[in-house]
Amino acid sequence: MTTNSSHAGRVVLVTGAGQGIGAAIARAFVAQGAAVAVLDLDHERAALTADELEAAGGTAIGVAADVADRASLAAALDRVVHRLGTVDILINNAGISPKHDGAPAPIDAMDEAEWRRVVDVNLTGAFLAAKLVVPAMQAKGWGSIVNMSSVAGRTYFPSIGVHYAATKAALIGFTRHLAGDLGPHGITVNAIAPGRIRTPLIASVPAAVNEAAIQATPLRRLGEPIDVATAALWLTSADAGFVTGQVVDVAGGWLMT
Amino acid sequence: MIGFDGKVLLLTGAQGGIARATAERFLAHGARLLLTDLDGTALEELGRRLDPTGGRVLTMAQDVTVPADALRAVTAAVERFGRLDLLVTAAGLYPEALVRDMPDDEWRRVIAVNLDGVFFTTRAAIPALAPGGAIVNVASMAGHRGSRAHAHYAAAKGAVTSFTRSLALELAPAIRVNAVAPGLIDTPMVQPLMAAKGEQLLAQTPLGRLGRADEVADAVAFLCSDRASFITGETLHVNGGLHIAG
Ligand SMILES: NC(=O)c1ccc[n+]([C@@H]2O[C@H](COP(=O)([O-])OP(=O)(O)OC[C@H]3O[C@@H](n4cnc5c(N)ncnc54)[C@H](O)[C@@H]3O)[C@@H](O)[C@H]2O)c1
Ligand SMILES: NC(=O)c1ccc[n+]([C@@H]2O[C@H](COP(=O)([O-])OP(=O)(O)OC[C@H]3O[C@@H](n4cnc5c(N)ncnc54)[C@H](O)[C@@H]3O)[C@@H](O)[C@H]2O)c1
Repeated sequence: MTTNSSHAGRVVLVTGAGQGIGAAIARAFVAQGAAVAVLDLDHERAALTADELEAAGGTAIGVAADVADRASLAAALDRVVHRLGTVDILINNAGISPKHDGAPAPIDAMDEAEWRRVVDVNLTGAFLAAKLVVPAMQAKGWGSIVNMSSVAGRTYFPSIGVHYAATKAALIGFTRHLAGDLGPHGITVNAIAPGRIRTPLIASVPAAVNEAAIQATPLRRLGEPIDVATAALWLTSADAGFVTGQVVDVAGGWLMT
Repeated sequence: MIGFDGKVLLLTGAQGGIARATAERFLAHGARLLLTDLDGTALEELGRRLDPTGGRVLTMAQDVTVPADALRAVTAAVERFGRLDLLVTAAGLYPEALVRDMPDDEWRRVIAVNLDGVFFTTRAAIPALAPGGAIVNVASMAGHRGSRAHAHYAAAKGAVTSFTRSLALELAPAIRVNAVAPGLIDTPMVQPLMAAKGEQLLAQTPLGRLGRADEVADAVAFLCSDRASFITGETLHVNGGLHIAG
């Protein structure tokens, strides 16, 4: 018995899906029979990931866009709707965590442009994508949105910057309010707060930082992208039809809320 | 994909609305089950209905407030099925009383069923649980936002949430321990509450309805499954948005 046959035929938009967690999410949805739009700022990564999914027999298209840019995102969404149909499930996953020589800039050294870019990508990007897809979800009376927060949005987490923590906390407020607003339209909105997950994003810090994270994690390992993907699958499935406004930690017990 | 082939589940309070839906789900996913509750005769009937061949479902009376009953249940599961992988503690008691009028024995009874019961059953199960196994405790929204005229119940459920986290630390990395926190689920347990102020509560629920027992069962199954293999110490809320916080 498959519990997520409810995903067959759904149209899923995953942002930042060219690599890492987003790519694993795209792969997981395709495996459930969904049609997936792999959106990424990096055109080549989006195309490569989509090609890999198509080669495996799935339905996927790669689209290049900057989630922080409304016009770019709207144009990409037009292509998605044209090729696959309107979006049923949105995974706001695109995110950046700038480092300088493996460390985040302290506040006095953080330039405003970097702060603004992180807010634009991590937070405004989720707002713009939701704004663009929600009308079609409302028209259908069904939809599901998952926002990629982080344990860094819920508690102090060393090795990331204040901009990153602020946007990941803001995504939780965004999730909660949107869940309340969209619930009456049959749309669920939830967030995932991953702990330390083995992707290119965390390869930019010294190995000792990740080793320390493992020691502080009860399950004694880094998470894998698939660990986050299975949570995203579940939250958007019929099985989670009464779950909305929630934040699920996928952190091996590093944080328990 | 969620699959429990070869896995053995011990489920307490199995006669309850949420637990029965949970038993059906786990059976459909391939698990073998030991179902326990207060009334052994009624359980036998439930067992026969769920599994007419009797090959995959065993039933047994267990009062969760009695430590020896927990040991007997764990022993029975291991004797019959050869192993124990999953524990779901669903027995619960939800009487109504204001604190100022609450008799000592009612306080003790509610703590005994909702909290002591989780401890006794868990303690008995730990030595038998196979590595890779999982525990899910049924906590409650009441433990997070309080519940007027159910202070004993809410206190016990809040404690179950903390117990869950501590146990997750203690049993990692071999066994994952999580909780579900249902909101208002359509079972006999919430009927008095719904009769008193149902309209108001539904108006406050973004999804605008009561949850179904099978929707809680699905959350329990997810947390027990490999799909949640990096999730431990977590509380998953199934409440239609009635409580959105923390
Ligand atoms: N890896 C972790 O430990 C971890 C922990 C918590 C949260 N997260 C979050 O999970 C998400 C995915 O992280 P990851 O580890 O897979 O990161 P990653 O850096 O490996 O991948 C992110 C992808 O997003 C794309 N992207 C960046 N800016 C974009 C933009 N403006 N528009 C469109 N796409 C853009 C990148 O090109 C990249 O392909 C992020 O939101 C991240 O903050 C990751
Ligand atoms: N229904 C809801 O809205 C709701 C909301 C939050 C939490 N919960 C929790 O979910 C669980 C199941 O609830 P339900 O709605 O199915 O309730 P229910 O009343 O239908 O089931 C509870 C079961 O526990 C059993 N039980 C009581 N005392 C026992 C004891 N001493 N030993 C063994 N079994 C005992 C009862 O016989 C009953 O079968 C409970 O823990 C409850 O607190 C329910």
